[in-house]
Amino acid sequence: MSDTIELAVTRYRPEQDTQPWEQRYTVPCSDDMSVLDALNYIKDALDPSLSHRWSCRMAICGSCGVMVNGEPKLSCKTFLRDYREAGVLEVRALDNLPVERDLVADISGVVEHIEAVKPWLIRHSEPPVDTAHSQTPAQMARYHAFSQCINCALCYAACPQFGRNPAFLGPAALTLAQRYNLDSRDEGSSERMPWLNAEEGVWSCTFVGYCSEVCPKDVDPASAINRGKVASDINYGVNLFRLLRGKGDA
Amino acid sequence: MRKPWQPQQPRNWWLRNPAYRRYMLREATALPLLLYTLLLLAGIVQFSRGEAAFATWLSWLQTPAGLLLQGIALAAALLHAVTWVALVPKILVIDSDRLRIDPRHVLRAHQLGALAGNLGLIVATLWLLWPTGGA
Amino acid sequence: MQGYARAAALCVLGGANAMNQQQADIVIVGGGGAGLRAAIAAAESNPGLDILLLSKVYPMRSHTVAAEGGCAGVIQAHDSLDAHFDDTVAGGDWLCDQDVVDYFVRHATEENLRLEHWGCPWSRKPDGSINVRAFGGMQIERTWFAADKTGFHILHTLFQTSLKYPGIRRCDEYFCTDLLVEDGHCAGLLAIDMRSGEQTLIAASAVILATGGAARVYRYNTNGGIVTGDGMALAYRQGVPLRDMEFVQYHPTGLPGSGILITEAARGEGGVLTNREGYRYLQDYGLGPETPPGQPQNKQMELGPRDRLSQAFWHEEQAGRTVATERGAAVHLDLRHLGEQHIQERLPFIRDLARTYINVDAVHEPIPVRPTAHYTMGGIQTDRHTATCLPGLYAVGECASVGLHGANRLGSNSLAELSVFGRLAGEQAAERAAQGLAVDPQRLRPQAEAQAAEREALRRANGPERLAVLRDEMAGAMEAGIGIFRVPAQMTATVEKIAELKARYQQLGLKDGSHAFNTEWLQAIELGFLLDVAEAMSHAALARQESRGSHQRPEDFPARNDALFLRHSLARQQQGGATEVSWQDVVITRSAPGERHYGGKATGEAGR
Repeated sequence: MSDTIELAVTRYRPEQDTQPWEQRYTVPCSDDMSVLDALNYIKDALDPSLSHRWSCRMAICGSCGVMVNGEPKLSCKTFLRDYREAGVLEVRALDNLPVERDLVADISGVVEHIEAVKPWLIRHSEPPVDTAHSQTPAQMARYHAFSQCINCALCYAACPQFGRNPAFLGPAALTLAQRYNLDSRDEGSSERMPWLNAEEGVWSCTFVGYCSEVCPKDVDPASAINRGKVASDINYGVNLFRLLRGKGDA
Repeated sequence: MRKPWQPQQPRNWWLRNPAYRRYMLREATALPLLLYTLLLLAGIVQFSRGEAAFATWLSWLQTPAGLLLQGIALAAALLHAVTWVALVPKILVIDSDRLRIDPRHVLRAHQLGALAGNLGLIVATLWLLWPTGGA
Repeated sequence: MQGYARAAALCVLGGANAMNQQQADIVIVGGGGAGLRAAIAAAESNPGLDILLLSKVYPMRSHTVAAEGGCAGVIQAHDSLDAHFDDTVAGGDWLCDQDVVDYFVRHATEENLRLEHWGCPWSRKPDGSINVRAFGGMQIERTWFAADKTGFHILHTLFQTSLKYPGIRRCDEYFCTDLLVEDGHCAGLLAIDMRSGEQTLIAASAVILATGGAARVYRYNTNGGIVTGDGMALAYRQGVPLRDMEFVQYHPTGLPGSGILITEAARGEGGVLTNREGYRYLQDYGLGPETPPGQPQNKQMELGPRDRLSQAFWHEEQAGRTVATERGAAVHLDLRHLGEQHIQERLPFIRDLARTYINVDAVHEPIPVRPTAHYTMGGIQTDRHTATCLPGLYAVGECASVGLHGANRLGSNSLAELSVFGRLAGEQAAERAAQGLAVDPQRLRPQAEAQAAEREALRRANGPERLAVLRDEMAGAMEAGIGIFRVPAQMTATVEKIAELKARYQQLGLKDGSHAFNTEWLQAIELGFLLDVAEAMSHAALARQESRGSHQRPEDFPARNDALFLRHSLARQQQGGATEVSWQDVVITRSAPGERHYGGKATGEAGR
């Protein structure tokens, strides 16, 4: 098939532009061409000044997230064939994030949120160097889905609460906290609890649930966050009980 | 030489895609329920003012406006209950070394619980209000 | 000493050009598995050090993320370090430095366990202990795995663990363009802050290159767009030799067209390769006898080494027995007999990839696959402690040639290499940094400014040549001349073509003159790196007049020649720019070169 499709790309060049604007490109369209292939075609053949991020082409590195017709998508895993009916593809940088240039969103804030929740295995004591912790497949299954996050930030583009308040730790960071909290080898959930409990933690989530719909890796961050609310509630109850008992003893 | 563009969340963000519209519909069920609560409150106030006032209130319930409000409130309550119960398996996950319950069973238990609770309420109400029953 | 090094970034206005300036004890270029492991090792061995991890992408984007199958390490009771040693040395066709292989096999398991302690979700047996799977060229199962996303989990585990060390700070999306050498020592580097386009001078006591491979010199490859041989070219331009560059591994199972990787674990779990007649052709290439589908035998049939499997495909294609697909010739990787449950548990990513990119469900249909360029066995020459011949410069991971892989790497040895030698590089660099050898950044400014001016000139280049055209011509020439089988006329043509492209590169014209996230500019610098690497590869290939491992010359030198070529090739860029190839002896400690036995011959007398 030698048909074509039109891409309406939102451009923003900080050195020239005061605000974003739309540029249209006509690209070839075949059944196995992804939106990333189309963007690379534009870059190589039509307009080398278009900037976008990409690397692995196989939906694992998380670089190439963009909005396609209003939905957050990995451009390497989104295919032109699915938009033939629509005729035009609108492509812009991920929503809710500052735009560095063209399709390049500034994800440094997201990465800072991920760093904040202590996303590493916390142990009170190190095991001997020559032995592994035991962990059964059933124990691994409890956190496994939450460990599949590729940090592509599509969920941040999908989250209206993050759009309203960029201080909200957001789906990926809170999911990562839960990933470690639910790991049978981890002993650090109490150290992460202040982040879950914080104003910017789980309670800023209103369960819109769109983050889980757009996740390309089926991580289900909405579930992780709302299970975090349960954990936060239990933590509150336990603390209250301790406080009251403490007073009773005095 | 950086000059990132700072996007503003548009006021109508919630109209931008179906997922947001579904979410807003779910959240908006609170409004009819609020109105219905005010309606019940008005009923109590009227009741305290005497039989005639209460009768006026009761007759208003049967006007088209009253019926419409009650119909919308019922639909909203049902929508809220159904969507909320559907989310339960994502929130209440019972899975530990000692106890594991299939999420499908958690969902089913909540659906049955909601159904039983509501039916129980209806039965109890009917029993209380039935001319020959109650006190 | 380290306190003074912990200087905040300061902007110094030097003449017309503003240049940012930073100082650190150690700068690591590259945030993949090797770079992260090195950073952690340096921070653990000396918590006072200021360690700067600089990468052109956020660390979790690094191509370690795409490794699928697994990571080697002896753990079963009936396995031994000697067996892992023998498999690696024979797999590398005796071009491995055996002291390095010894060190590697002794430390691989320890490093895998450390990753476990840091949270890596290694797949487990029902009793909660570590599970291992079979892999090509390994006589016993010793490949640790995390389903079929092993590299992804290793990378994210290392990235997340690196966050707990206050000594490690990062420059994300900084693109290193030049190394700075003062008094014969590597004293820092020059980098572009991609977001602003500003150039930054970073002075350091030690620089570790961990920039990964260079398979983007080929048209069809399994690599991400970022895998452009940056570190190799940076070192090469400073006169550091690139070693064994002629050895490029073709992975036997990539998706036709895109080259997307279908892991060797698919065969380790029991997948079989068939030609258009449904025949398991590997038995015709010294890898038989045929094993029952779903019951793979180590070192037999589909579990032969990658070089042999890719070469067998080439012969099948010549004989017209491959399957024609709309994306070119392929053979079938058949997993159907494994059943949906096993595929979903062990190979979920593969199933997803095949479904997404070629619309094939591996549960119901065979996956069409073909060999695609995958891995550079060679790289920056280092000693067995990861130090290059340029004091202060270390190299580790795929960009380096520490002497582990020889003429053909065994699958799952490279992920283990990242940890084993990443740690070593970090410790070595930390030791050097503690001696306080840092050069005053002011002394580096003149050369940094000269190099920065060159980069600026490239940004404004307005010649007639087009970037994408040069890149595609290079990739096509490498595919034709330095592919699975190498014939003399085509090799010579490729050497000439690369020289021509390097000349035309000087006539490049760029359309985008801006600074902020100017990816055209960065791609042009990358193309310069790729051309240098392609030059080293093609010259080394021409110079090695024998067939060994992944370097096969069936027409003019079809046999291995230990008398002349049991040696590493060293490609060095001379002062005038010409490439010279010289030779370095291989370290042989206990395994004399012998015949590589796979298939039925492998049993009983593996390697020795």
